[in-house]
Amino acid sequence: MSVASIQNLVVQYGSFVALNNLSVDIPEGCTGLLGPNGAGKTTLLKTILGFVQPASGSASVLGFDIRTQGREIRQRIGLMPEQDCHIPGMSAVQFVAYAGELAGMPKEQALRRAHEVLEYCGLGEARYRNVETYSTGMKQRIKLAQALVHGPRLLLLDEPTNGLDPRGREEMLDLVRSVSHGKGLNVVISSHLLPDIERVADQVIVVMKGQLRVQGFIKDLKKIDGAPMDVELIEQSDRFVAAIKSKGATIEALAYSRYRVTTSKTPTETGHLVLAAARDAGVQVRGLIEAERSLEDAFLESIGAQAHGGFQL
Amino acid sequence: MASPIADLSYRNYDGVLTDTRFRWWVIAKTQILMALKKRAIWVYAAFSGGYYALMMAVLFFFDQVAANTPPGRPNPMSQFLGRIIWKDQFIHGFSFGQMWFLAISLIIGAGAIANDNRANALLVYLSKPCDKKDYLFGRWFGTFLPLLVVSAIPSVFFYLYGAMSYREAGFISSDPWLLPKVLLVVTIGAAFQSSLVIGFSSMFNQGRMAGAVYAGLYFLTNFFTQLMLAAWMGVTERGQRAAEGPSRFISNLFYASIDGLNIGMAKGIFGSDGSPYLGIPSPVKSVPAPPLFITLVPIFLISVLMIYIAWRRIRPVEIVG
Repeated sequence: MSVASIQNLVVQYGSFVALNNLSVDIPEGCTGLLGPNGAGKTTLLKTILGFVQPASGSASVLGFDIRTQGREIRQRIGLMPEQDCHIPGMSAVQFVAYAGELAGMPKEQALRRAHEVLEYCGLGEARYRNVETYSTGMKQRIKLAQALVHGPRLLLLDEPTNGLDPRGREEMLDLVRSVSHGKGLNVVISSHLLPDIERVADQVIVVMKGQLRVQGFIKDLKKIDGAPMDVELIEQSDRFVAAIKSKGATIEALAYSRYRVTTSKTPTETGHLVLAAARDAGVQVRGLIEAERSLEDAFLESIGAQAHGGFQL
Repeated sequence: MASPIADLSYRNYDGVLTDTRFRWWVIAKTQILMALKKRAIWVYAAFSGGYYALMMAVLFFFDQVAANTPPGRPNPMSQFLGRIIWKDQFIHGFSFGQMWFLAISLIIGAGAIANDNRANALLVYLSKPCDKKDYLFGRWFGTFLPLLVVSAIPSVFFYLYGAMSYREAGFISSDPWLLPKVLLVVTIGAAFQSSLVIGFSSMFNQGRMAGAVYAGLYFLTNFFTQLMLAAWMGVTERGQRAAEGPSRFISNLFYASIDGLNIGMAKGIFGSDGSPYLGIPSPVKSVPAPPLFITLVPIFLISVLMIYIAWRRIRPVEIVG
């Protein structure tokens, strides 16, 4: 079941093609939207919201057509934009209640719900303060609160950790993870920060030059061909290396006393082989895990780039 | 601090969500409620009805004097009533209120869109089930309705006072359509003022800047019309008849301001050139009313232009590829 289904979508700004024949299904759950600057991530979010009219193609969000049912879609979506935004002259509780009313909630319900959501977002103590006096971290939280107030079925988060200190970032990611798992709320999170995505999302969609590059579960994307195993020994051991080679496996030394073992067998069989080699070499195995690459490597491979001492989109 | 037994975990809202139409009313209502919290609005609203209050005081004074006049002596009330033209009192009342309406429109409307531009509030509005039409009409109506109420209440109150107290003095018979005309004038005036201030507001990111520019234009054009008034008086004193040639042209230019267009429109709708304030004889003559279309057409075109500017300026977000 997908929350949004996009078919051959083309979005142009003049002669610039922002989304080029994009087809993608956004699944239920928490999905990370990745891509370098100018890839079309924000355009995709804007198109889902109906801010931008596609030149061709079709898309439906929560079963509503983006061309003709923008209001119905926006009533069921919460947007946490990248930029700071608030209604001037209002306290937090007024602002969030007003956002609820704009979404169609009755006034009393909106006010009650505003108190609840602000409490949940950690702004309970500051709810009567004017939003303009808030710190950056608090402004991020209030943006999340106004997006959540009407109980959306789909939450769009655009760079939710922008400008946050490490502690604020942790708290924001905890909040996002909490609302996106087991609460019946689907989340699409667009971020430059792969660790953020990895922490909260289950699946990712990678777009580049307006086209879909990769889509799937993070754990699948991080898998390495051949299903190698990472072994951590109590200490470095040449005898273990020799033993594993004698069993027909290839071995690569990683940092400290860790090795990556690759065979043509299944992970379980490779595991048995590693344990047998360790026994033969008389060395203690401290850890054995299926090897996986980082999301950064997976992402760079998908966009056809190479990591050069760090990652910056 | 939250109660230790409070459940602070997130729960989804599954209550009622009303129809997505009429979002403009939520925007207008909130703008009005926020405006009503500003004390200055109440003060200016009270001052805007000043002419009617003064007129009622004068009428009350003459009533008292007439009651104490011995029989056989000329009745001062009758003399006073003979000098005043009822419909002109509404022109004076509307004209007197212009400055206060400007002040109120600045308080309510100058920051309506400008402050939203500064705070990126459009992202909030347009990500909800509202569109540009809802937002713009909500902002416009949120300015228009208070202005209409502020300008209509004293006028209608004075009308009711006159209709109940001075019926025999020709209050109703002199113009049976007086009340609809009063309502039409205040409605057009409020709509014009709202369109202007909303248009200016949309051009800036600071409400104060929008207000300063609008007020600057208001007073600049007002200064021009005062020059035209001086020129017109000079021409007419040299013997030109008011309705002819250069005199007529200059008298029409007297209405070439925001304030002037409103007053000209009021004179056109009431069908009067005006008369001295409070019925007190004055050497300063009233500038003749221009043809109604000369004021209505610019009012309409300027209003449409300002709304169009606001429409063009309202965008959900800057386009970033």
